[in-house]
Amino acid sequence: MATAPKPQTDSKAITKEVLLRVEGVTKIYDGTVKAVDNVSLTVNKGEIFGLLGGSGCGKSTLLRMMAGFEKPTKGKIFLDNQDITDLPSYQRPINMMFQSYALFPHLSVWENVAFGLKRDNMPKDEIAKRVDAMLTLAQLNKYAQRKPHQLSGGQQQRVALARSLAKRPKLLLLDEPLGALDKKLRETTQLELVNIIEEVGVTCVLVTHDQEEAMTMASRIAVMSEGYFLQIGEPDVIYETPNSRQVADFIGNVNMFEGEVIVDEPDHIIVKCDECTHYVGHGFTGNKGMAVGVALRPEKIMLSKDKPKGEYNWAEGVVTEIVYFGDHTTYHLKTAAGHVIKAQEINNTRDLSCGLTWGDHAYMHWGDLAMIVLTH
Amino acid sequence: MNMLKNLFQGNKLVIGIPYGWFLLLVAIPLLIVMKISLSEMEATSVSNMISWTNGLPTLKLNFANYQFIFSDALYVKTYISSIKYALITTLICLAIGYPFAYFMARAPKHVQPTLLMLIMLPFWTSFLLRIYAWKTLLVSNGVINNVLMSLHVINAPLEMMNNSFSLTIGMVYSYLPFMILPLYANLSKLDLRYLEAAADLGTSPFKAFWLITVPLSKAGIIAGSMLVFIPAVGEFVIPELLGGPDTLMIGRVLWDEFFSNNDWPMAAAVAVVMIALILVPMAILNKAEAKLEEA
Repeated sequence: MATAPKPQTDSKAITKEVLLRVEGVTKIYDGTVKAVDNVSLTVNKGEIFGLLGGSGCGKSTLLRMMAGFEKPTKGKIFLDNQDITDLPSYQRPINMMFQSYALFPHLSVWENVAFGLKRDNMPKDEIAKRVDAMLTLAQLNKYAQRKPHQLSGGQQQRVALARSLAKRPKLLLLDEPLGALDKKLRETTQLELVNIIEEVGVTCVLVTHDQEEAMTMASRIAVMSEGYFLQIGEPDVIYETPNSRQVADFIGNVNMFEGEVIVDEPDHIIVKCDECTHYVGHGFTGNKGMAVGVALRPEKIMLSKDKPKGEYNWAEGVVTEIVYFGDHTTYHLKTAAGHVIKAQEINNTRDLSCGLTWGDHAYMHWGDLAMIVLTH
Repeated sequence: MNMLKNLFQGNKLVIGIPYGWFLLLVAIPLLIVMKISLSEMEATSVSNMISWTNGLPTLKLNFANYQFIFSDALYVKTYISSIKYALITTLICLAIGYPFAYFMARAPKHVQPTLLMLIMLPFWTSFLLRIYAWKTLLVSNGVINNVLMSLHVINAPLEMMNNSFSLTIGMVYSYLPFMILPLYANLSKLDLRYLEAAADLGTSPFKAFWLITVPLSKAGIIAGSMLVFIPAVGEFVIPELLGGPDTLMIGRVLWDEFFSNNDWPMAAAVAVVMIALILVPMAILNKAEAKLEEA
């Protein structure tokens, strides 16, 4: 397993009081299909916890078990040290913001937000006060008497949020909260959503398939695949020190080099691969002769037309593809060994930064702390 | 551009067919019925109803039939009785049909077509036969009485035939599918996530049914109720076969006016009043509904 180049410090001011504890939860459908496989996790108070994974990885099933819509086949769920595994959803102090929003179409915005409060037999004037406060928070006062279908997607999303926050739940579940919005709106809404959540101070579990959404919103992320957790950690830890090829591949873009450890020293290792030799500036738990994967993110590769100095950490190839994104450009280079390596250049001038074009021969080089050595 | 134009005309043609049908077979006959109801004799032609005085046409209308309908207590009573039986039928159909449609919509997907088939199965036999079958079940020496008597549950046969009981049973039995089908169509489309959202916000399943399922199936309830209520008001066959002397229904009066008394203008007037009785309140309801939606 790769050791991180520097020790992880818990920089975020999160109280370490556990709110939600999931213990060995398994969900089996129809006797055979394992949707969630022996999953355990804790969510601290005030935290936004992200469940990230592709479709069918079990993240939604896990969320639905937290909400009480599904019963775990095995395992227990605790909220504030109280076992809620068998508590029906309508008795849990947990509210969910649905992916489709599930706003009641026959009720106005005001009535939608008041719906949960009315069920608690709250006095009328108090309901009115709370609903108005929620609508102010979500900037919806103008639309209080509208029906959901008269609102735009972004407004509906805010109604859904206001409704799920109105009861002041101990835990807020967000199921793909921005999935139905277009890209531009998603970016602004992301920050808006985090601001509102932090203002209210509610603990959140966020389910998403969008790694960018998870990275920007969550304080910790669990990467899920086939019903179990691949890795749990802070966004930067997951991105910079993934613990397996699968996580490295799922989060962001990555170039994977397969090779063999030829030098294993406490302060560095050298890995021999087909197209290059990696000099990794830190030790690793493993030994000489071991087959490892070296993961290298495209943005950590620099391109040049001149041959780099030294014998380590560079490779050469021919430009086969240039993908222009506006703010950056991704170059695909084919090596002599037949692998395609992606390198990403920031377009910091208005002409393409390194003047490479299709068919050009180019060199790629990178620093000795740029790569991740993976044994899984 | 040309193709678009052709397409547009094709649209008009397709839409035009049902409108043409409606005009030919509903609107024109209705106007004829109205004309008959306003003339003294059936054969009176429109030109005879117009008299010319000082070069100006005057329409000579005969409102005597309508005056008679509203002054005769029997007609008024029959109208009220018809609406009463139609309402009772509608309410019972709704009470039986709603849970039926609800569970059908919630049944596993693969059994739903079978359940739907079972609802429609009675239509495969003649309507008349099915009503006659009820007769053999309900009469004094019928199947039900015989079974109950032989089991010594009762000593004397129950009076179930030719009264409001047999009439209501026959009407509910015949019209139930018309209630279930639109309700099923509506309820099977209900997004179950609304119920999850309600539960998530602290609503028990029973409460969620009344707060979410019922209001969201309003369109189905209205459609089903209309499909039962409207034909039930004018029903003739069921009151004729299963009804008795006490079960006044306007359909039977209509029949008598047309075929026993041969008084076509009177019969036409009875029919027009019946249509007005159903359509006018419905139009008002529709308007109010539309206004409510707008607000």
